[in-house]
Amino acid sequence: MSCLIQPLHSLLEPLDYAFMQRALLSCALIGFTNGFLGTFIILRRQALLADALSHSLLPGLAVAAMIVGLSPGGLLLGGLVAALLVALGGQLMARNSRLKDETAVASLYIIAFALGIVLIRFARVKVDLTHFLFGNILGVANGDLWIAYGAASLTLSLLVLFQRPLLLVLFDAAVARASGIKVGWIETGLLALTVLGLVASLQAVGVLLSLGLLILPAATAYLLTDSFTRMLWSGAFLGMTSAVGGLLLSFFANIPSGPCIVLLMAVFLGAAYLFSPRYGVLSRMIKGRHFHKESLERWEGHQGHDHQVPGSDSKH
Amino acid sequence: MSTPHKDQDPMLRIEDLTISYHRVPAIHHLGLSLNAGHCVGLFGPNGAGKSTLLKAVAGLLPAETGRILIEGKELSKAAPLIAYLPQRESVDWDFPVTVQGLVEMGRYHHVGLLGTFTKRDEEAVRQSLELFNLLPLAKRQIKELSGGQQQRAFLARAWAQEADLYLLDEPFAGLDRTSTESLATALQTLKQRGKLLLVSHHALAEAEAIFDTAILLNGELIAYGPTTDTLSSIHLECAYGTAVYSGEHHHHAKQ
Repeated sequence: MSCLIQPLHSLLEPLDYAFMQRALLSCALIGFTNGFLGTFIILRRQALLADALSHSLLPGLAVAAMIVGLSPGGLLLGGLVAALLVALGGQLMARNSRLKDETAVASLYIIAFALGIVLIRFARVKVDLTHFLFGNILGVANGDLWIAYGAASLTLSLLVLFQRPLLLVLFDAAVARASGIKVGWIETGLLALTVLGLVASLQAVGVLLSLGLLILPAATAYLLTDSFTRMLWSGAFLGMTSAVGGLLLSFFANIPSGPCIVLLMAVFLGAAYLFSPRYGVLSRMIKGRHFHKESLERWEGHQGHDHQVPGSDSKH
Repeated sequence: MSTPHKDQDPMLRIEDLTISYHRVPAIHHLGLSLNAGHCVGLFGPNGAGKSTLLKAVAGLLPAETGRILIEGKELSKAAPLIAYLPQRESVDWDFPVTVQGLVEMGRYHHVGLLGTFTKRDEEAVRQSLELFNLLPLAKRQIKELSGGQQQRAFLARAWAQEADLYLLDEPFAGLDRTSTESLATALQTLKQRGKLLLVSHHALAEAEAIFDTAILLNGELIAYGPTTDTLSSIHLECAYGTAVYSGEHHHHAKQ
């Protein structure tokens, strides 16, 4: 018996520490929410915009640290304002100049990032730049947990409530607009929630890795399913599992938690890329290049009949 | 054709419509009126304003002058009655949605934000799939369909939406013969069930087989009415023989 209980006990060891309890809870919440949100970002093809936004959080955090110190609420607000300024500023520049939107956003975010690094020197309190860049999950305080609760419940309830119009807009914005949906509001709302998701994951993985929690689980789910709803929830579940799993791994292996979480997500993505039953690179190779037997049957079955469009019969 | 056969509003009435891009008008003072139960082809050279007209009726472009009425209602109040079918290249065919899921999207307007699908909604989805011969393909991801099947899937979504006016932008582009026939049959089905279809089309050759009514555009309305009369050589000369006005520099207007 004791040989069973011993490993179990050491597995549960992290739960003995209050800081680990907080960190795990925070990881589960953020991993789930951002995994859910990621589906919308991927299908909207805004992964790179989200990356730009994550970098542009930095000057906002710096200004917040200068004004109010390191209170979680202030940092959240600062990051939110900075990222929205970059996103909206980019759109404005693209609209009234010759610059295309991805050039405009890319220029603004890298300027913002540089500005942020300079501004952090002037923060009232001594701020470690690496905490902002790479996160500090073990430093999660109760205030941070409240932020995570708030961000998670707001994001999830809004996304679930507006899931149907969102899906229509993601699938085809022009058609959605023609059917009477306020596409501009939906898109702006999604952008705001993306920034909220990024800010909420700062404490866990920092500015530079926050994109991972948004993109990797949803990208994995995208390779596994043909159902929008299933992609949403499996992205969320994968995000939660790998955030918690990555944190535990980092505890036992004594390596930084942010990279550990992202790398665990990468393992899942790699597995789906290779072995997804339908879309995996290796699975497709093993299956052969086409439905040889069935296409042969159909060819023989239709000789002398009208020409049949390939794929017009059920493949399964 | 131009006067409603019953004493009621026509399905689509366009009055004095002008649409411009950057001050260059793509459609000039266009007026026409179409009744339900017709399959209407929209013809004209590149830049004649075919896509522009469809987008305007879909409510995607603001009118500079004039107005568009659907069953006597202003466009903003008629959105659920209109189904705008996207051009094939604007669709992300890798989107995680099956044929069934696509058709279900047509019911979202009826079920609302959080409402669950009722028996009636499910029946509407099933009937749409059946009407367009898509039942055996319902579980397929949309990329795994042929071109004609993909167009039919979008028609099925519009049918599930219970739309009355169908706007199709070059649906026959890039379809092979078999797919063209299957799409033409689907359009006939809709016409027989009292829908109005407005379809932009490139080839004049098979026009009469598909469309009972034609609209010939060249920035302005050249002619409209029964297909054979409208696409007469004198009208075509008028539509294709003169260049479309596209502003001072006379660059090619975007279609």
